[in-house]
Amino acid sequence: MSQIFVLAEHRKGSLREITWEMLNKGAELASRSGSELVAVLLGNRMDSFAGELAHGADRVLVVEDEQLENYNSEIYQNVLSRLLSEYEPVLTLIGHTAFGMDLAPSLAAEMGMPLSTDCIDVDLEGDKLTATRQMYGGKVNAEVSFAPAKQYLVTLRSGMFPAEAAATKDGKIEKSDFPPSATDRKKFIEYLEAAIGAVDITQADVLVSVGQGIGDIKNMPLVEELASSLGATLSCSRPVVDRKWLPKGHQVGTSGKTVKPKVYLAIGISGAFQHVAGVKASTIIAINKDPKAPIFRVADYGIVGDLFQVVPLLKDKVTALKGS
Amino acid sequence: MDIVVCVKRVPDTSEADVIIAKDERTVEAGDLVFDINEWDKYAVEEAVLLKEKYGGTVTAVTLGPDETEDTLRRCFATGADKAIRLTDSAFEGSDAAAIAKIIHQAVKDLKFDLIFTGTQASDDGYGQVGPVLASLLGTPHASVVTQVDIADGKARVQRELEGGLSEVVEVPLPAVFTIQTGINEPRYVSIMGVRKAAGKEIETAGLADLGLTAEDVGEKGSMTKVERLFLPPVTKEAEIIQGSPDEASTRLAQIIKDKGGFS
Amino acid sequence: MDFGLSKEQRDIQKAAREFAEAEFDKDYMLDLELNHKFPHELLKKACDLGFLGIDFPEEYGGAGYGLMEKALVCEEFGRVGGGVGTTVSTSHFASKIVLRSGNEAQKKKYLPSVCSGESLPVAGCFTEPDRGSDLVTFPLSTTAVKDGADYVINGPKTFISFADVAGFGVVLCQTDPEAKPPYRGHSTIIVDKPSEQPGITITDFVKMGWKSCATTQMSFSEVRVPQENLVGEENRGFYHTINFLDEFRVEIGACSVGTAQGAFEKALAYAKTREAFGRKIGTFQAISHKLADMATKIESARLIVYKAGWQFDKEGKVDPKLSSMAKWYPARVAVEVADEAIEILGGHGYMLENEVERFYRDARVYELIEGTREIHKNTIARSLLGKLE
Repeated sequence: MSQIFVLAEHRKGSLREITWEMLNKGAELASRSGSELVAVLLGNRMDSFAGELAHGADRVLVVEDEQLENYNSEIYQNVLSRLLSEYEPVLTLIGHTAFGMDLAPSLAAEMGMPLSTDCIDVDLEGDKLTATRQMYGGKVNAEVSFAPAKQYLVTLRSGMFPAEAAATKDGKIEKSDFPPSATDRKKFIEYLEAAIGAVDITQADVLVSVGQGIGDIKNMPLVEELASSLGATLSCSRPVVDRKWLPKGHQVGTSGKTVKPKVYLAIGISGAFQHVAGVKASTIIAINKDPKAPIFRVADYGIVGDLFQVVPLLKDKVTALKGS
Repeated sequence: MDIVVCVKRVPDTSEADVIIAKDERTVEAGDLVFDINEWDKYAVEEAVLLKEKYGGTVTAVTLGPDETEDTLRRCFATGADKAIRLTDSAFEGSDAAAIAKIIHQAVKDLKFDLIFTGTQASDDGYGQVGPVLASLLGTPHASVVTQVDIADGKARVQRELEGGLSEVVEVPLPAVFTIQTGINEPRYVSIMGVRKAAGKEIETAGLADLGLTAEDVGEKGSMTKVERLFLPPVTKEAEIIQGSPDEASTRLAQIIKDKGGFS
Repeated sequence: MDFGLSKEQRDIQKAAREFAEAEFDKDYMLDLELNHKFPHELLKKACDLGFLGIDFPEEYGGAGYGLMEKALVCEEFGRVGGGVGTTVSTSHFASKIVLRSGNEAQKKKYLPSVCSGESLPVAGCFTEPDRGSDLVTFPLSTTAVKDGADYVINGPKTFISFADVAGFGVVLCQTDPEAKPPYRGHSTIIVDKPSEQPGITITDFVKMGWKSCATTQMSFSEVRVPQENLVGEENRGFYHTINFLDEFRVEIGACSVGTAQGAFEKALAYAKTREAFGRKIGTFQAISHKLADMATKIESARLIVYKAGWQFDKEGKVDPKLSSMAKWYPARVAVEVADEAIEILGGHGYMLENEVERFYRDARVYELIEGTREIHKNTIARSLLGKLE
């Protein structure tokens, strides 16, 4: 029976949501292709995770060792290349995360497997695999085909499939040996938590979030004033942090924080996937001058216009409405 | 400290319309403005900063037709010492792994302590070339790097993880790092830089120079292929508030209030 | 014949564009506009990157490029900054008289600090009240008289750009009051830091646009400068000045092209997004033909400027007729295009925050500085018709 592997991702004692997203997608592919869905779990003392994963996979393949405590691409690659050679799964899914981005390309290179990264969907018809991914900052989708191979590797973008922990299966847990590592060049030293400033954007009810469109640090008062008129917290997209206009603690998105306010006001934010993946708001409102900006595909309401014009007006209107 | 930086010339599509070409596999270059990939700009700057600190050389490598020399001249202008352009009509249609294979042939015999690439390119966003190249070279690598410190023949780097978390890893040199935006503040191109760049020679190498055959590269040497480009299906569309800025912001203020934004 | 820019020129254009788009910040420029401030910080950054010294020889701290390359910088700065771009890219102003006509000691003393920005801006003190561009009919009211090792300067100057913040100025003075015609008795003399010189009073005009550059009235009273500050030959100052202006007008032409381009792009973007009567306003012929006209005018203005720049770099001078064309026409185009841009943006176009009205007010000065449209048409006509009786 052919197998589909899903590489479980965990960090600092928690399974990451991407694991369930991949298992849910993997279950769909497995049932259609009549394959076995296998969760692959690498770590140290993995019993409880293995138990959890057994509810979402036909089998859980566990490799345990102290050296697998924290992710290390070299050690992981060494284990995975052995597992892939031994079990020959037709498809292996890895998250397109900091972990998967580090691991998947060199694993594919070592194994000589076709790889497509950052896919938003994947389809397996018989042994024919196709993937869908985005290009040009999400403005275009691409259908990717793979040269015929015995095994394929795909990294899946976060947030594309349901993340609910499945409880449909009762997979068996199987342990595999930890193979001696050929190299020990790369060393994990420690985790660093971004300094949390005075604000905690994850707890905010209303976020005024600012992007690259603000143009310069000198324009920040514009959004600060709007935020203060709303009693909202200020957050931002990655380019704002890259340019040091706001500290890292304000960043929303995959490499920043996931936020869940009632109202999320995206100002001058184009809406790159990495940003919107971190927005779980009840209502998203976008102000952007580019009518084709991807943010309008996730927003509930939008104004197509110049933020320098709209934001001060909006502040006045909010103030007026408050007083009334 | 000898550093190789892999750079790519890409169209800036952040505010431009992207039009899919008739072949449905590429986009129309049309009015798009091409420049160095944003991530690569940071990679070049990081390499130049390390060179300025420790001495050595920075070599920029790109792959593509004549126009990509613009990107290499930009690298010269912002501090690179050497530049290599890998070009051959046979390279057309190469996937990320095939591109890494081509670059590997070009850099394997160079003397280097570090190879940088951008974490990804803003056009196709595969993020593969760096780690695949490391794998071919047999060197360690780290992706999504936001800080590089060098000591005792080792690099201690910060990798950006999710949720505001980073990890610190240590690898011996030589190594390949994919550089994330925000790691530094890339300098502007100066007029002195342009002048310097104009006096520099760009080396070129083609298929045969690199010891490759047509089977190794292009669509034949690739395991993945973009079959079709299409516009993302509209699953949801924002309600665009029409009217003058004054009218629109009046309505928006009411919506924010109704949705619980303030009372 | 090749209308394309060289690779190096394209690199310069790109570098100037990248810098301008990042550094000519909208709010910063609004602050300059509202508070009539000179963009010192922006100018310093531009100098550090070599944009001001671009066409100065390398031995004086420049990059050794030509007027054509300088024009590309003026154009890009004007495109984003309008008049602020012009303030920055022409702040070297009269230092080019020192470059073209000064002696080696003067070049060594003044030009490196022009390229580095330390002595920028540089004022050119030519115009006098009630005289304008007519330097021919009467002797200048501003005189320089030798006294010991010095010149003693007395008299009025008006419409002088940058005088309040200038590192130095070049003053056109009557040194031979008896000369016939009087312009054969003009001399160009350097005055250091005019605002700090005892005997010089500088007063600011309130004006329509170009607010990042102060336009001032100067009065010289017993101002002593060493005779070594004479630039070029004594009594040849008129010629030094007009030679300089033939060259400098090309830079103003380039600033005009850039300003026009910037206003045009704003109008184009607006026409592509603004909807009225259920469609984009760009689909209305009334708007689309305006845009077509604007683009055509800009392209023709640009070609004249490039040709003049190319000629200067090739031959060391610009034909005065071409220089006049490269000044008045782009300036007119900048005004017309900015005016149409206001029209296309409608009410928004009239508002300060949308910049096109500022571009319009800034552009209007391009038609006045370094000779009005009429003066330049006279020059062109004289060259076409000769002394027609």
